[in-house]
Amino acid sequence: MVASPPVSKSNPVAKSLVSGILSAVGCVALAFLVQYISGQFLSSYANGLVFQAATFVTLAVSLNIVNGITGQFSIGHYAFFQIGAYTTGALSLLFWKKFQGAANVPMQEDIWIVLMMFFGIITSAFAGWIVGLPSLRLRGDYLAIVTLGFGEIIRISAENFTFMGGATGTKIAPEKTVVWLAWLLAFAAIGLSRNLLKSVHGLAFLSVREDEIAATAMGVNITRTKVAAFVIGSAFAGAAGVLYAHQQTFISPDLFKMDGSFIVLTMVIFGGTGSITGSALAGASLFYLPEALRELPPVPFASLVGIVLGLIATIGALKRYSDQSHAKTSVKAATMIGIIVVGIVFMAILGKLLSFVPSISAHAPIQGSQLRLVVFAVTLIVLMLFRPQGVFAHHEFSWKWLRSVLARVLPKQKEGLSS
Amino acid sequence: MSQLVLDKATIKFGGLTAVNQVCFELEQGMIFGLIGPNGAGKTTCFNLITGLYKPTSGSITFDGHDLSQYPTYQIAALGISRTFQNIRLFGSLTVLENVMLGTYLRKESSLASALLHGGRSIGDTSRKREFATNLLNVLGLGDLLHVRSRDLPYGKQRRVEIARAMATNPKLLLLDEPAAGMNPQEKVALMEDVKRLRNEFGKTILVIEHDMKFVMNLCEQIVVLDHGEEIARGLPAEVKANPKVIAAYLGE
Ligand SMILES: Nc1ncnc2c1ncn2[C@@H]1O[C@H](COP(=O)(O)OP(=O)(O)OP(=O)(O)O)[C@@H](O)[C@H]1O
Ligand SMILES: [Mg+2]
Repeated sequence: MVASPPVSKSNPVAKSLVSGILSAVGCVALAFLVQYISGQFLSSYANGLVFQAATFVTLAVSLNIVNGITGQFSIGHYAFFQIGAYTTGALSLLFWKKFQGAANVPMQEDIWIVLMMFFGIITSAFAGWIVGLPSLRLRGDYLAIVTLGFGEIIRISAENFTFMGGATGTKIAPEKTVVWLAWLLAFAAIGLSRNLLKSVHGLAFLSVREDEIAATAMGVNITRTKVAAFVIGSAFAGAAGVLYAHQQTFISPDLFKMDGSFIVLTMVIFGGTGSITGSALAGASLFYLPEALRELPPVPFASLVGIVLGLIATIGALKRYSDQSHAKTSVKAATMIGIIVVGIVFMAILGKLLSFVPSISAHAPIQGSQLRLVVFAVTLIVLMLFRPQGVFAHHEFSWKWLRSVLARVLPKQKEGLSS
Repeated sequence: MSQLVLDKATIKFGGLTAVNQVCFELEQGMIFGLIGPNGAGKTTCFNLITGLYKPTSGSITFDGHDLSQYPTYQIAALGISRTFQNIRLFGSLTVLENVMLGTYLRKESSLASALLHGGRSIGDTSRKREFATNLLNVLGLGDLLHVRSRDLPYGKQRRVEIARAMATNPKLLLLDEPAAGMNPQEKVALMEDVKRLRNEFGKTILVIEHDMKFVMNLCEQIVVLDHGEEIARGLPAEVKANPKVIAAYLGE
């Protein structure tokens, strides 16, 4: 009515085909390059970390489709991850030996795992569809509880699944850390999310997040959109689960405890809900936190309590100061550093004092690995206080964005210097 | 034949009958006004027509379709679009994205194509972007394309909402207090634009508005509600002179 369709000069179909093929080839090449470098030059432990980074990028980016882009607060993402792992677990137990005997081809294990990814995607996408259905009626907290419950149901069912070893778990064959597939999957999750956001369909997903009533009044089928988000998100989680199972070589329900879902959720919120690159970068970096904590020496319980209490006080003081002070940036920064120093001293003193309390000093020291949830919780609290929109907010990381941020920050500093 | 027919449409919320046995018909291509005091049930009528509420009794028919059979998003597809009294833009999306969403109903590519960045989706999206840009230019919003809609002043937000509703290419456009929060110049401009939407694009328009000057100058036919019931109907001059309307709403 208002506009007649434009006559585009270049053929978009041909152009997209070329760019699509080029980027696909590029991603495959890059994925193999990562595998080559990581396999050749890194220890097998570090190679495992390279693999896990990709896994968590996939998990965070795919949860971002549900939570960030469509605005459905799901906190059971690990359930789909587990479904993928258990799908390949069961199928591999039954058929891997036969396949190995029958098809003697190069990269036999990789081919099997690709095949398993296909099945993992089907089962987890189906589960995503099932979970997506109640989300049509439930909002916010209620949906969160349903997804949480679903995660627990899956985990507890697995505990009773004797074929897969029940609560003890089972060994998985073939054992293989397929770095290239893990990264290719991560690239695919990023690419598909980005493609979605570039289309009118993507706007429909976003509109559900922004205002369901307006979205439905504009003709968006809310039901279909939410379910689609769940299906896409869980399909990726399932595929990642397949790879993860073969990398772990032994899967048990313990691997998929609820805190995993929280960690992935933290990544999405940390990166900035809705930001694909934010989720990806948060996934690739935060996954290492639990690993790093494992290296930590045991902390006496008194010191830990001192640190936590001191941290709360310091964060509170920082928040209060940054909200109320109108001082110059340089003064503000200096004061905040001062607050942090005082906070650390306070933690040390508090820890020392508490060690004189008999019931506290009698407590066994806390292992670093027990701290992972504490650390993620503190990260989330700090984020909610100082940057509730996440590090990248809804922005995507790009050089243009970086320039615009720098442009905003740099003149401010100049002002600070000249005055 | 009338485009939209409300036949004894009624909705009750617990003990409250918000819309009571309301009957009116809208002819294709006319500009109608729906007025009445606060709480009269005007917005509730819009919610009934767009299917956000289903009538307790009575029926609403659009182009021969019984609307009670359709969910809201399909009613939009039948050709009814609206704006909201308490603006409901997609706040963190840009003006252009808001209006592009309006074209979602006429998408010509699948979700799969969108995910794979297929040629169909690319072409479709670029056509829709072009369409939305043109529409925004027509409505004088061409310089705000990339502004986040939440950051716009009130009057502009109302205009963007109209643009978004227009982007669905509706046959019937429902405007809920479009002039609220606008200054006098903006109101004049808005009135001209609403007339153009009818004159140039042949839309049927139903407007809720409290600004009497605006309503009387714009509308060709007016329905007056009070306490959920229709108390008058007719030409602006007739309605203005109706003693019931004066008592219930206009005063003096
Ligand atoms: N979902 C609902 N549940 C209960 N009561 C409702 C609901 N929606 C509307 N009402 C009631 O119905 C009556 C009519 O409301 P409505 O919003 O239609 O009035 P209105 O004519 O648009 O008024 P205004 O000019 O203030 O916008 C009011 O008393 C309102 O409180
Ligand atoms: Mg109203």
